[in-house]
Amino acid sequence: MTDRQPPQPPPGPLQPPVPPQTLDAAALARLRELDPDGRHGVLQRVLTAYEISLVRMHAQVAAQLDAPDAEVLKSVTHTLKSSSAAVGALSLAQCCSELERGLREGTVVDLRAEVRRLLAETETAQSAVEAMLHP
Amino acid sequence: MTSTFSFAKSGTPARAQVLLVDDDEVNLLLTALALRDRGFDIFEAASGERALEMLVGWTPDLVLLDALMPGLDGFSTCRALRRVVGLQNLPVLMLTGLDDDASINRAFSAGATEFFVKTTQWSLLAWRMQYMLRAARNLAELERSKSKLARAQDLARMGSFDWRRGQGMAVSAEALRVFGLGPKDHATMRTLLRMLPLDDRRSLLRLLRERLRSSSGVDTDAPIVLLDGKRRILHVEAEPEYNEHGHSIGYTGIVQDVTDRREDEYRIRHLANFDTLTGLPNRHQVIWRAQRALEQARRLGHQFALLLIDLDRFKDVNDAYGHSAGDELLMEVGRRLRACVRHSDQVMDGALETAGPRSHRSLEAVGRLGGDEFVALLPEVAADEDAERVAQRVLDVMREPIIVDGQECFVTASVGVALYPRDGTTVVDLLRNSDVAMYSVKNQGRNNSAVYGPHLAGRGREKLELESALHKAIERNELVLHYQPVIDVRVGRMLGVEALMRWQRDGKLVPPGDFIPLAEETGLIVPLSEWALREAARQAKVWQQAFGFAESIAVNLPSRMFERSDLVENIHDYVTQAGVPHRVIKLEITERTLMKDLQQVIPSLHRLNEIGIEISIDDFGTDYSSLAYLTMLPISELKIDRSFVKDLGITPQSAAVVNAIIALARALGLRVVAEGVETLRQMDSLHKLGCNVMQGFLFSKALPADELQRWLENTLLPRKAPWLGPAVEAEHAALPNSDANGGSRQVS
Repeated sequence: MTDRQPPQPPPGPLQPPVPPQTLDAAALARLRELDPDGRHGVLQRVLTAYEISLVRMHAQVAAQLDAPDAEVLKSVTHTLKSSSAAVGALSLAQCCSELERGLREGTVVDLRAEVRRLLAETETAQSAVEAMLHP
Repeated sequence: MTSTFSFAKSGTPARAQVLLVDDDEVNLLLTALALRDRGFDIFEAASGERALEMLVGWTPDLVLLDALMPGLDGFSTCRALRRVVGLQNLPVLMLTGLDDDASINRAFSAGATEFFVKTTQWSLLAWRMQYMLRAARNLAELERSKSKLARAQDLARMGSFDWRRGQGMAVSAEALRVFGLGPKDHATMRTLLRMLPLDDRRSLLRLLRERLRSSSGVDTDAPIVLLDGKRRILHVEAEPEYNEHGHSIGYTGIVQDVTDRREDEYRIRHLANFDTLTGLPNRHQVIWRAQRALEQARRLGHQFALLLIDLDRFKDVNDAYGHSAGDELLMEVGRRLRACVRHSDQVMDGALETAGPRSHRSLEAVGRLGGDEFVALLPEVAADEDAERVAQRVLDVMREPIIVDGQECFVTASVGVALYPRDGTTVVDLLRNSDVAMYSVKNQGRNNSAVYGPHLAGRGREKLELESALHKAIERNELVLHYQPVIDVRVGRMLGVEALMRWQRDGKLVPPGDFIPLAEETGLIVPLSEWALREAARQAKVWQQAFGFAESIAVNLPSRMFERSDLVENIHDYVTQAGVPHRVIKLEITERTLMKDLQQVIPSLHRLNEIGIEISIDDFGTDYSSLAYLTMLPISELKIDRSFVKDLGITPQSAAVVNAIIALARALGLRVVAEGVETLRQMDSLHKLGCNVMQGFLFSKALPADELQRWLENTLLPRKAPWLGPAVEAEHAALPNSDANGGSRQVS
C-alpha cells in the first residue's frame, strides 16, 4: 500500500449525455489497492453496495420528475456525489456535484432538465457497474 | 473515557477505536476498509441515531461524522453527543463537502473538533485522524496534570490568580477555596482586599502600588479574616506579565494559606527567643536586642542602658516553699517588671524594619537571663537619671508582697545599671559591668540600685561564685581535712594533730584563708564545721585501726557553732557513730569566739568538758581576753599565736609575751602549745622558755590522712628529722624512763 495517489483525472467538461461505458480506471485501481489480492472481495462488495444505492437513488430521483423537491435532490446528489467519485463513476459524480452546488446556491434554471440529466447519468453509471459486476 | 487508547506497557499506543458514521453504504464501506487498513479499529454506524445508540456506555477514541445525512445529520448528532456526560472532549472529525463553508462553520458550532473534506485519499484522512488522536492524548494529559495540579494546590491550600490592567482579577477555584469562597463565588480585587484588616489592607495596597510602579514581583504575607471570622495568613507571590511590546499588562501569581506554617514558625521562634516560664524575652533575645540597641545608639549617637535585676535571697524562697512556688514567684516578678518599661513582646530576629528613626524604641523590654536574674533594656536614655528612675520603679514594684503558695512573700531586688557607651562599648562589657554594679548593691545590703563605676570592678561576682561552689562542696566531697602533728619535742612524740580544712575545687587546693572567711560570713561555716567534726571522728577511727591512734584531733570551732543548741549532742553523736572515745576530739576556739558571747559559750564548754572533750584556746595573745574569765573556763590548753613564735629570737618583746603566756598557763594549770614553729632556733627558744609542745613546718606541714601515717612511720619513729637532735637528746638524758613511742604504739 502506498500513500502516493495516482493523479486525479481532470473533471470532464460539460458534455452531451453520451454515456461512458466504463468506470474510471484510477478509481478502480484505488479500490483494488484496498484489497490487493482480492481476498476480501472488496471491489465486488463496494460495487454491489453502489449498485443498490444507485437503484434506490434512481427511484427517488424518478419520483421528483413531476414536482422536484430541492431538499430531496440535495440529499441524493450529496450522497451520490462522493460514492460515485469513489467507484469511478466520474460523470455521475460531476453531475451530482454541479447540481448540488446549483441547488445550494439557487442558480439552477431548469430543475426538471437537471433531474432528467441526473436520471440519465444514474442509468449510465448503473450500466457501467452492471458491466463490471456481471460481464 | 473508559476505553481511550491507552499506553500499552511497551509504550506504543494500542489501535485507536473509531466510530465511523455515514449514511452512504458505499462511503461507509470504503472508508472503513481504508482506515482499518491504516491501523484503526473501525465501528460503523449508518445514521446519526445509530451512532448515538452505540455511544451509550462506550466511548471511542474518535468519531468520524458525515455532515450531511438524512434524519439526524452530522451537526445534530455532534450536538447530541456533546451533551452526553464524558463525551465533551471526545474528538469528533466532521466530514464535509469540498467547498461547503457553511457546513464547516456549522460543524464547529455544533462542537466538532475538526473538519475534513470528504475524500478518497485515505492517507490524508488517516494522517488527520492520527493528528487528532495525538492532540486528544495531549489534551487528556494536560487535563490530568491540571487536575493533579489542582489537587496538589488543594492539598497545599494554594491557588492561582491573574490580574490584568483594566480587566481585574481572575481567581482559580483553588484560590477561591483558599479565600474560603465557593467555586461559583465571584472574587474581585476589592472583595479580596476587604478581607484584610484595615491596617494590613493599607500596607498591602501600598506595597502593591509600589511594586506595580516598578513592575517588580510581589512576595508577601497577608493576614485575612474569612467570612466565617477565622483568621488565616496567606502568602501571596506574583510576577509581572508583559505583552509582546514588553509592556507590563498585569500579574500572575499564587496565593497560599500558610497559617499553620507561620504559626509553627512563630512557635519555634518564640521558643527560641522567649523564656517559657515568664514569657519574657530570654537571654538569647535580650542579647540580640541589646546588640541592636547598641548599633542604633552608636549610629544615632545616643546612650542606652542595661539594668541587671537580681532578686535578693530568692534561694530562701525556693528552699522554704519549694521550686514550684519559686517559679510562681518568678512569674509574678516577671509580670511586675514588664510594667516598669514600655515592654515590647515582638519576636525580633531579623533586621530592624526601617520604620522611622525611633524604631529602636521597640527594643525596649524586660528579659530573663536565667534563674532569678532579669534584665531591663532601655534603648535610649539621656542620662543616668533615666535608668535610675526605672531602677527605682523596679524596686518599688517589688515592695508589694507576692502571694506564693497562699502566703505573703516579700522579695527585694538588687539592680545594677550600665550605660552605653560610658560603661562599656559591647554588650558583653555592659552586661558584666551592670553585674558588677548589681553585686555592689548586694554587698551593701541589697534592695537598692547602683550605677556602674570603675571603682566597683573586680568585686562581688567571684565571691558569689565561690559561695555557690562552696555550697556544693560538701555534697560533692570536695572538702578534705589535712592534719598537722602536734609534737612534744622533749620526747619526739606526737601528742595529737590539728585538723585543717582544705577545699579541692576543680582539681586545685583552695587554701582555707580563701574560703573560711567567706564561709563564716555566709553561715556556711556551720555545715562545714559539722562536716569537719564528723570527718575527724571518722578519721580517728581509721587511724585507730591502722596504727592504734589514741591521741586527739583538734577541730576549729567557729563562734557560730555555739549558737546551735545541739552542738554538744551532735559531737556526741559523731564520736559515737565513729566508735571512738570523746576525748579523741579536741575543740579549738579563738579568744574572739570565746569573748563574743561568754554567757552562751560557757555552758556549752562545761557540757563538752563533762563528756570528755577538751577545749583549747587558739591564737592566744592576739585578742584581748578577760583573764578573770579565763580562770573560770573549763579549758585545758592555750595555743601561742604564730606571730609571737615568728619573732622569737628577733625581738625581745615576743619572747616576753611568750614567757608571760607560759607563766599564765602554768599558773592556771593549762598546757601550752606553740604554733607556727618553723626553725630550730624558734624551737630552741620555746624549749628554753619552758614550752615543749609545738606544731609547725619544722616538724611537718598539715598532711593528708594517709600521708600522716607515712610521716609517722618514716620520719618520727625512725627519728630521722633534724629537730630530733639536741632537745630530744637532752631530755632523754634527763628522763631515763621516757618512752619514745609514747601513746602511739609501734606500727609494725
